[in-house]
Amino acid sequence: MADRDNADLLVETRVMGQVTSPELSGGVYAVDSSGLPFVPIGSGGIKYNVKVGMSAFGWAGDQVEPGVSLAHPQAAANAALSTFACVGNTVQVRTGMAAGALGTVTGKHEEFVTYQHVLVDFDEETLAKLCPGDQAVVRAHGTGLALADASDVTLHSLDPGLWRKLTRPARGQALVEIPVVAVVPPHLVGIGSGRLSAATSICLQLGCRDDLGQLGLDDLRLGDLVAVTDWDGRYNTGYRPGAMLIGCVSTGTSRLAGYGPSLTILASGRGGQLGATIDPEANIARLLAVGTWRQP
Amino acid sequence: MVTANVEALVRVAVEGQVSHPGLRGNFTVGFDDRPQMRPGMAGVTVNLRIGDRALGWQCDHGEPGVSAEGPSPNRHLALQVLAALGNRVRMTSGLAQGAIGTVTGKHAFVLIDFPADVLAEICPGDRLVVEAWGQGLQLLDHPRVTVRNLGPELLGALKFESDDGCGLTVPVVASLPARVMGAGIGMSSEWANCDVMLHDAALVDELGLANLRLGDLVVMEEQDHRYGRCFRSGWTSVGVVAHALGPTPGHGVGVVTILTGPAADLGTRADPGANVGDLLGLR
Repeated sequence: MADRDNADLLVETRVMGQVTSPELSGGVYAVDSSGLPFVPIGSGGIKYNVKVGMSAFGWAGDQVEPGVSLAHPQAAANAALSTFACVGNTVQVRTGMAAGALGTVTGKHEEFVTYQHVLVDFDEETLAKLCPGDQAVVRAHGTGLALADASDVTLHSLDPGLWRKLTRPARGQALVEIPVVAVVPPHLVGIGSGRLSAATSICLQLGCRDDLGQLGLDDLRLGDLVAVTDWDGRYNTGYRPGAMLIGCVSTGTSRLAGYGPSLTILASGRGGQLGATIDPEANIARLLAVGTWRQP
Repeated sequence: MVTANVEALVRVAVEGQVSHPGLRGNFTVGFDDRPQMRPGMAGVTVNLRIGDRALGWQCDHGEPGVSAEGPSPNRHLALQVLAALGNRVRMTSGLAQGAIGTVTGKHAFVLIDFPADVLAEICPGDRLVVEAWGQGLQLLDHPRVTVRNLGPELLGALKFESDDGCGLTVPVVASLPARVMGAGIGMSSEWANCDVMLHDAALVDELGLANLRLGDLVVMEEQDHRYGRCFRSGWTSVGVVAHALGPTPGHGVGVVTILTGPAADLGTRADPGANVGDLLGLR
């Protein structure tokens, strides 16, 4: 049982982001995997009606980011925001009509050479007041989180408080176990190979499949925890026989070739120390009491 | 012999220049978990050419020969999308002015082969013109097979077999399972290539890829590369090995797609000698 973490040694810092507004840098029409054009909507800005805890499928949109998408307009500062912000961290609005309101980081989302967003859940009252351009500060805490007795397991983008709610006593050969709704094979990883694990997401390429039920993924929700076998997310994301990666679903699906729901990388094991147990309720929104689990 | 709409294709001059290597000052972390800082991307790689081995170099995505770029982001994109494998290239400045080369691959740059004595004279910043020819290419008897990044020059050299049942058979050196397809999935079929994650020695042995060469024709199983690259059961894609191994997980040996279609329409047969450098007489 690897329950000794180094949370009391972690540096807590502050990183700034702005509420984004949607951009269409790739033109008006995107082209899906079968060659059909469509208008992509859902990344960037404020999504009033899409919350972590809702379905990852079915939206008439593309890679829909639940809640509020934050970014910093300066590239180096955005890299710091994207790296140091952790799922479960508290966010405070600093400017605009919602100044002072608190929210919670629920994921990170990277799009190839286009943007990196940090996704934040706020209550309805705050969403109604927020506006693109409003400043928010992330109380960044979690970078460097490590386990004393499981050196092959690397944790990324995890608030220490969320980590302690997430992990379960290990039962099998693994030293660390995390509940997940599904375990998927490596050939389902889409765009995201080679990215920097501490700051990113990878796509599960599920957008053009009609066998989600057979994969056990038709009920996949935003925030669900999912494991990928033979995939390594310790440094750069990539195929490694025997490794395992666990992440939380941070965006909705996509019709683009090689795309689908994004997973924000949370835990990776090189060779057997990290295990996953199936639990249909394994969802970070439930653990954090945000999104559809937010109490009025 | 396959029939194609070559007469309908527009042949256009696209300007480019020989790129220069760039570093961002940070190490990447290799498959061995160690920091890496190696040459291979951009510029002129003098001792790595099409036909050479793809594995075993101390390089990062080793690009053979000349790596060409466009002079601005939009022109670079045009160069990437319009250039096709087999296209003719003319040097238009520098000591090698007037020399003729051949497009053999794509990565973030367009990769061009020149004879060794010419390559020795080429320098970053030298200008060139790619006689881009191939966008819109269709195989008229094989409508379910989609062509990508294939110039008529290479089309004419490929040793296809075409049967009456509209099946097309392409000779390939090796077969790549879907689980090793890395960076490049999800990106446009005309942009760069798809990295094949061949870092694990046991995996390379299992797949019989130890002697893989730059320019080799390979089949990518369960891949649909029509409108971006993705996994699709029952589909297959054929490509050309464009660059040597990158050491970072998720990256690897780059394969440029030239054909994609349902496996029933696009078949392959093993041919250990199926190499674009040989087919085009470059080595």
